[in-house]
Amino acid sequence: MKTLQANAGVLTNLEVLEFLRARGATSDPMGCLGAVAPSECKVFDYLVNTPACNQTRGAIDEFLKRCEKFKLAKAEKFNIINLRPSNQALIDPIIEYCEKRLTKDEARGIDEVQELVDSVLEVLPPPPAKPDEEMQDLEETPTAKPMEEN
Amino acid sequence: MFCLSLIEHNLPLPPHLLNRPLLDAIKEELERLFLDKVLSNLGLCISIYDIRAIEGGFVFPGDGSSTYKVVFRLIMFRPYVGEILCGKLKASDANGLHLSLGFFDDIKVPVHLLPHKSRMGDDGIWIWEHECGDLPMDLDEEVHFRVTKINYPPIPVEQDANASPFSPMEIIGEIYGDGLGLLSWWAD
Repeated sequence: MKTLQANAGVLTNLEVLEFLRARGATSDPMGCLGAVAPSECKVFDYLVNTPACNQTRGAIDEFLKRCEKFKLAKAEKFNIINLRPSNQALIDPIIEYCEKRLTKDEARGIDEVQELVDSVLEVLPPPPAKPDEEMQDLEETPTAKPMEEN
Repeated sequence: MFCLSLIEHNLPLPPHLLNRPLLDAIKEELERLFLDKVLSNLGLCISIYDIRAIEGGFVFPGDGSSTYKVVFRLIMFRPYVGEILCGKLKASDANGLHLSLGFFDDIKVPVHLLPHKSRMGDDGIWIWEHECGDLPMDLDEEVHFRVTKINYPPIPVEQDANASPFSPMEIIGEIYGDGLGLLSWWAD
């Protein structure tokens, strides 16, 4: 076996999900025997519970266009698409040297981190609501600002 | 999290598959060989993405199977160092936390990469001592962690009878920092 190219392209969770769906994977454990291997079914089950299951290619293209001005690395953009962070705290570990690269100047009213979070909330659809979650409904209005932790 | 790898392999096709269409037979053999296996430094193979080229079909003397040189792409699970992933807390012990992604279970967060000022409770659950109060890291919670290292330990020659099963790919994660750790700590 010879590796010609260790990295021949990165895939978002959405692309892997669409590929498995096209092969015949479903959430029903009995339905996908024969077409898809059990290990592929496990990957499908994991991806269906991530934000990728509601995303569309159009939404991803729109998000990539919107975040061009922030000059993020490709890996960071992919990470944001896969994770869909819904507030500043969750987006902070994704972007390296966040404070230096995205300006936050309250005096002049510029908050690029919040702009990025708003783009995420507006363009990328929220993840599916978990059935046993009694907390807030995830389909809230996208302009809700993050609450201060007291 | 997922990427494509271009592989070339000399694939012997066993005789019992010779009555099948070539592409299907080759795909089935590739899946038998590579699916759900860890390739060193490439990651865990999730699926065969496509077959780019098939050459050959030679039958070597003394062999019943024909050998093809196949060039194909595999979908590999290989997170990059520094990527943030979301997993479930499966177990916790004195060495740290064990996280799982459903299809991949060998994710460890050692003690020194837990949040500052964490201590282990009596029931084996780690607790983060935050100024607002104690935050326990309960099992089955969603956890955001950063990948710090991926290890591909070599296959051990000898193993104890009751040692834990060998894991060919291990991810070391950290939850030290803003936005990492249990999702319930940071969600709105």
